[in-house]
Amino acid sequence: MQAIRVENLSKTFRVKRKEKGMRGSVRAIFHPQTEEIQAVNGVSFSVEEGEMLAFIGPNGAGKSTTIKMLTGILYPDGGRVEVLGVDPTKRRRQLAYQIGTVFGQKEQLWTHLTPYDNFRFFGAVYDLTERETEARIEELSERFALREFIDIPVRNLSLGQRIRCEMVAALIHKPKVLFLDEPTIGLDLVVKENVRELIRQMNREEHTTIFLTSHDVGDIEKLCTRIIIVNDGQIVLDDSVEHLKSHYPNEHAPDTAVHGREHEAAAESGDISDVSLEDIIVEIYKSQGET
Amino acid sequence: MPWRKYMVIYRSVLLENLQYAANIVVGFFSYAVFIYTFIMLWGYMYQTPGELIAGYTKEQMIWYVMMTEMIWFGSSASSVAREVSTDIRGGNIAYLMNKPYHYTLYVLAKYTGGWSIRLPMYAMLAVVIGTALVGPLPRFPLAAVPAMALCVVLGLTINAVLKMCISLFSFWIEDATPFQWLYDKLLLIVGTMFPVEIFPKAIQPLFKLTPIYTVCYGPAKLIVDFSPEKCVEILAVQAVYLLAGCGLMFLIYGKGVKKLYVNGG
Amino acid sequence: MLTAVKNQMRVCLLSIKYNMMREMVNKVTFLTNVGFMVLNNASFLAQWVILFRLRGDVGGYTFREIMLLWGLVAASFGLSHILFARVFSLSDLIIGGKLDAYLVQPKNVLASVLTSATDVSAIGDLLYGIVLGLICSPGVGCFFLFLLFTVTGAVVFTAFALLLGSLSFWFVRMDLLQSQMVMGIVSFGTYPDGIFKGVSRFLLYVIIPVGMAVWYPVHVMTVFDAGMLLTVLGYACTLAAVSVIVFYRGLRRYASGNLMEARL
Repeated sequence: MQAIRVENLSKTFRVKRKEKGMRGSVRAIFHPQTEEIQAVNGVSFSVEEGEMLAFIGPNGAGKSTTIKMLTGILYPDGGRVEVLGVDPTKRRRQLAYQIGTVFGQKEQLWTHLTPYDNFRFFGAVYDLTERETEARIEELSERFALREFIDIPVRNLSLGQRIRCEMVAALIHKPKVLFLDEPTIGLDLVVKENVRELIRQMNREEHTTIFLTSHDVGDIEKLCTRIIIVNDGQIVLDDSVEHLKSHYPNEHAPDTAVHGREHEAAAESGDISDVSLEDIIVEIYKSQGET
Repeated sequence: MPWRKYMVIYRSVLLENLQYAANIVVGFFSYAVFIYTFIMLWGYMYQTPGELIAGYTKEQMIWYVMMTEMIWFGSSASSVAREVSTDIRGGNIAYLMNKPYHYTLYVLAKYTGGWSIRLPMYAMLAVVIGTALVGPLPRFPLAAVPAMALCVVLGLTINAVLKMCISLFSFWIEDATPFQWLYDKLLLIVGTMFPVEIFPKAIQPLFKLTPIYTVCYGPAKLIVDFSPEKCVEILAVQAVYLLAGCGLMFLIYGKGVKKLYVNGG
Repeated sequence: MLTAVKNQMRVCLLSIKYNMMREMVNKVTFLTNVGFMVLNNASFLAQWVILFRLRGDVGGYTFREIMLLWGLVAASFGLSHILFARVFSLSDLIIGGKLDAYLVQPKNVLASVLTSATDVSAIGDLLYGIVLGLICSPGVGCFFLFLLFTVTGAVVFTAFALLLGSLSFWFVRMDLLQSQMVMGIVSFGTYPDGIFKGVSRFLLYVIIPVGMAVWYPVHVMTVFDAGMLLTVLGYACTLAAVSVIVFYRGLRRYASGNLMEARL
């Protein structure tokens, strides 16, 4: 079954444009000039249940806008979105029960409370009964090894411990899809690895679909099976990570790789290249910039 | 293009000042609300024209409040208190005290820079509101304006020095805010809303000993009811206060810094 | 439907409880904040003692009525700032794009936003107001009216702030207007309406809702008037409804992304 289905999704922002200098500022008051920015332009893709997808692109490519439309924060201008069979625009709250979000830089925990109290709060937010919440906390604190600090206020925890708690808070209601927006930003190498392991574990044990955006190639390489690259609001590449790594250096043309998913079988036959995934992605970004 | 950089500097300063202007407008609004309420209040309290309350005509009473509030809003001495407390409690003081200037004078200079723009603006606002809604003060001696201005400036400098002294106690106590607050309340309730003469005779001499006399009452009284003798008297008291206040300030700061050197931050 | 409301209430109450717990982490700071706010309010007694020495009434109010007025403003201001402190900085959330966090939760956005912060010193305001109301109410009935009007006053404070704060969905620098207008209720509401005349009095009933938040209630507490009571209740409900509608209209604009210029 498909967890996410997106067809021809578009989003345009109207941005006030100001001419340069003092005269421009004054003119903007009387004759505001607006300019349309096509943030997302005809994006189509689908994600299978249980898949781990990296959704990446340069800054301003339309990643966040897409995530926001998938979670119901923003309304699309055109196209269709379905997440778990639900239209986020029409049934945002219904969908919210089934998805989890971790926005890297934004902490959602109350720092003066213990992780335990925090989890109980999020349990209430997702309408779990006391018994369900307790059981789930028990289960996750076992799995994420939170036992020893579950009764210590979050502000006294180390960054790595905090991130684990953030993840548990996002998973308290057993979401079927987990949206991760730069989950490892600002973390040291050990903590990063820890977080990745937890994500993998959730995917393996609860069959959670993972939708990840990140600038960290390590995240993509170590977590995801599939990669979608967007630029200027359009998909420029949709391929399996395996295939991309083995084929791209030979093809040198990003456009021909768009249909790459069908070629997964062919990936096996490709040369094992010593070009890193990071180099490939940078290459694709650059070639986009030139066109 | 060599002139370009000056345009950039000019624009960023201008933008910063526009932000600043918005804050000034907000302050103006609060001031206007406050003064308007007092105009209405005293309009009700004075039942017959020409009536005197505590020796003040209605116009004098309202101008008195306008002047004390002008000093209060225009000087914004709480910025001094905030800066000193943050520097000391945040440990920033360790860097500032080794600079080639005296920390307390550095803070006072910044404060003076702040009110030199704000105070004249509030003065203009006060004159506009006053002449439009209350009427000018009768027999206002224009020639005495420099003396009045001197008195106001001395008053708000003394206020900043005293607030600085209180803040400097942060070297020893966790939080000096409660003392700051008590001092402010004394000035606000007793000093700015009413002239000293309105209080019972028995406690009036007491008030004359407090900073109220030099910071708010003195300058405002001089403006609404000028006399050369009073001017000399107030300036003399202000000089004593300023000298004593600065002495105290240097003393406390010196002791605080010594404590810092001994115990660390 | 009923369980949904119950669950929503559970989350809001938890939220308020946790906010309080945060503020009480440092007991000394907490008590100092509350205590100083009580003292701060009490210091204004001096002003009124002096004014009543000069004249037997101020704006047609007796000393006891002025104290009721003061108590009511303090209690309503306190209640709204304890429960819904976030509404008074709503502009920051809107302009900073910080509503996203509430939009991904399966709960009512407005309720979550409103209860997401508290203001400790407001406890001092509420305490002072209630004590003043208790002392100055001539009878039990009057005190009950005082409590009722504390609630309607808090509704007016909150709804008025919500209305002005929601304008940030459309206009810039609404934060300044919002805080000034809300403080206007306090500045004008702590004086009797009798001193204001003509246009200003009209404005204080229409533009800044001082009349309905404070003056009408004090009249009703002094001389009971069912019509005035119903007017106050009706006004509070209407203002609340209008502010909620405006907020959700704005939220649609937020979701359409046209505020993006502030965030790009």
